[in-house]
Amino acid sequence: MKSAALRKLVRLHLSRDRRGAFSSSFGIAIGIASLVFFVALGLGVARVVREKIFPVDASLVEVIPSQLALGLFGGQLDQQAVDRLSALPGVKKAYRKMSVKVPAVSYYDGDFFGRRVRMGVEIVAVGVDPEFVKADVKLGEFVDAGEGQPIPVVGASRLIEIYNKTFAPARSLPQLSATMLVGFSFPIDWNRSFIAATAGGPFTSTRGQVVGVSDRGMLAGITIPLETAKRLNKSNNADAEHFSGVALQADSPSDVPGIVVAVKEMGLRVDDQERRMAENAGAAVAITTSAMALLSALICLLAAFNIAHALSAAVRTREKELGIMRAVGAKRGDIFALVLGEALVLGLAGGVAGTALALAAAAGIDMLAARMVPDFPFKPETFFLVPMWLPALGVGLGLLAAIGGAWLPARRASRIDPARVLAGQGT
Amino acid sequence: MIRVEGLSRSYDDGARGKVRVLDGVTLEVPAGQFLAVTGRSGSGKSTLLHVLGGLDSEFSGKVEVAGTALQGLSDAALSRFRNEAVGIVFQSFHLVPGLSSVENVALPSAFAALEAPSSRAKEALERVGLGDKLTRAPEQLSGGERQRVAIARALFHQPKVLLCDEPTGNLDAQTADEVIALFKRLNGEGLTIVAVTHEDRLRNAASRVVSLADGRLS
Ligand SMILES: Nc1ncnc2c1ncn2[C@@H]1O[C@H](COP(=O)(O)OP(=O)(O)O)[C@@H](O)[C@H]1O
Ligand SMILES: [Mg+2]
Repeated sequence: MKSAALRKLVRLHLSRDRRGAFSSSFGIAIGIASLVFFVALGLGVARVVREKIFPVDASLVEVIPSQLALGLFGGQLDQQAVDRLSALPGVKKAYRKMSVKVPAVSYYDGDFFGRRVRMGVEIVAVGVDPEFVKADVKLGEFVDAGEGQPIPVVGASRLIEIYNKTFAPARSLPQLSATMLVGFSFPIDWNRSFIAATAGGPFTSTRGQVVGVSDRGMLAGITIPLETAKRLNKSNNADAEHFSGVALQADSPSDVPGIVVAVKEMGLRVDDQERRMAENAGAAVAITTSAMALLSALICLLAAFNIAHALSAAVRTREKELGIMRAVGAKRGDIFALVLGEALVLGLAGGVAGTALALAAAAGIDMLAARMVPDFPFKPETFFLVPMWLPALGVGLGLLAAIGGAWLPARRASRIDPARVLAGQGT
Repeated sequence: MIRVEGLSRSYDDGARGKVRVLDGVTLEVPAGQFLAVTGRSGSGKSTLLHVLGGLDSEFSGKVEVAGTALQGLSDAALSRFRNEAVGIVFQSFHLVPGLSSVENVALPSAFAALEAPSSRAKEALERVGLGDKLTRAPEQLSGGERQRVAIARALFHQPKVLLCDEPTGNLDAQTADEVIALFKRLNGEGLTIVAVTHEDRLRNAASRVVSLADGRLS
């Protein structure tokens, strides 16, 4: 059958029953719209979890010492252990971390981005190998500047988010951004604490200066150069030989499981709390998305049944017409193609309309959320993620539902016996 | 033009079991003949016509129409035969609603590769005297005109054989006469016509009459 003729006959049949065609397409559109909408939402929320709430670097392994000291070097994180970790297969680089074991506070009294602030906070500091956060350092060099000099500090991106969305509004403090913060300097008093008794070392006072903000920055505290942490510990007679953690950069995420096993064999532990939380959150999103996608698939299935029903009826009422086509030369396959062609148009229309509807709804919700929903930490600009394949999937599934529904009616139509339907009276 | 030998056709009719409608029919129709097949209602006239027209392939025996042996042909080959070698006209006109006269006549072109289908369709319509009703929809035509459009559709591919099943059955006396006159004219132009009927009017116009009874021709 010629495709121009096929198109013409399909158009003729569809135009004769516009309402039926519309309702068949509409069913598919609803199913596809809901599917595309929920998949985009699921992908979008998963992205927020992955990139903002738990920005876990899949190729990073956090090693921490064992709670128990085991034998000779078991469980301890000294330089020797770090060297062995660096030499593990699949490890590209090892970044040492050392927490400062000296209590500290910051007592801030002065101008804070246009507001007068008096505030005292307890300071927790961790020193890291400078390369660990180098990419996020925007001001000067992230190295130990020596006794009495200002200490370069890297802040945590997530801390700013939490500050902006919950801490600051409640205290009418100004909103901060990473760029604003860089250059900000604040006093640090070592060997002072609001909470605990101090170790009794000498009280010293320096300043900290923010030089960058990083996802790798410590969430509940400040990140400073490793040498600074060592120096502070040493001058306060605290342990400056053992590290509080080592971040191992794997060659690729697929090397991580092997590295984890080797680390455990060394008597060390892996801190996978963040990773686990990320995985749990990701799994929750995935399960919800799958459930909604399944529901949408059911709607599509119903739409397919609807099309099957509608086309069966249409084939019955058009029996004679299909018979006359057979009489003037249509093969069984031509009749099959004719009925399937109608369904394809319905499926295409439904798939395109449904996908468009879903994208419009997503855009509308993002707009409403931006305007009406108050800020909360990690509130994204969009709750949706629409990869290139998603609209294609929507239209494809619309077509599939239509073909699925049309298959049996089309087959029945192709088997109409023209001799039976054409003889005798009746129009 | 048509050669039938030992043609049998039976239907499975549930309660009554197998019913043999055609029982060894033998028939020869030379080119240019206008044959009328008569018989009581239910005698198998339509069944015979469907076999000749390639609409029914569940028969036994030998059937050759316009040079094509029909026994054992595939669906594709039979469809091509219907498309090109014969034209069929029914009691009900079976025009496609929503298509104009020209488009209805050109319907066979949907299933064949062919140049300029609509100018061919116009020629066919002129041949049956409807050159002035090309764009009319079926609903805007009288019964006689509809049947003439159906005849034009059957003639679209200029077949050698025209098969008609009670072609005047739905027409009043006057329009029936017009259609019969058309058949005579087409027959005069060399077209072989087989018309199944129980109407005297059509029988009288034919050049030969055979009658079907008890599954056989006489
Ligand atoms: N598809 C069919 N299935 C079963 N019986 C049929 C079928 N078509 C026709 N018949 C039977 O075959 C006989 C001949 O039918 P038909 O050829 O239509 O006769 P006519 O055209 O002479 O009236 C009738 O008894 C009819 O009931
Ligand atoms: Mg009959």
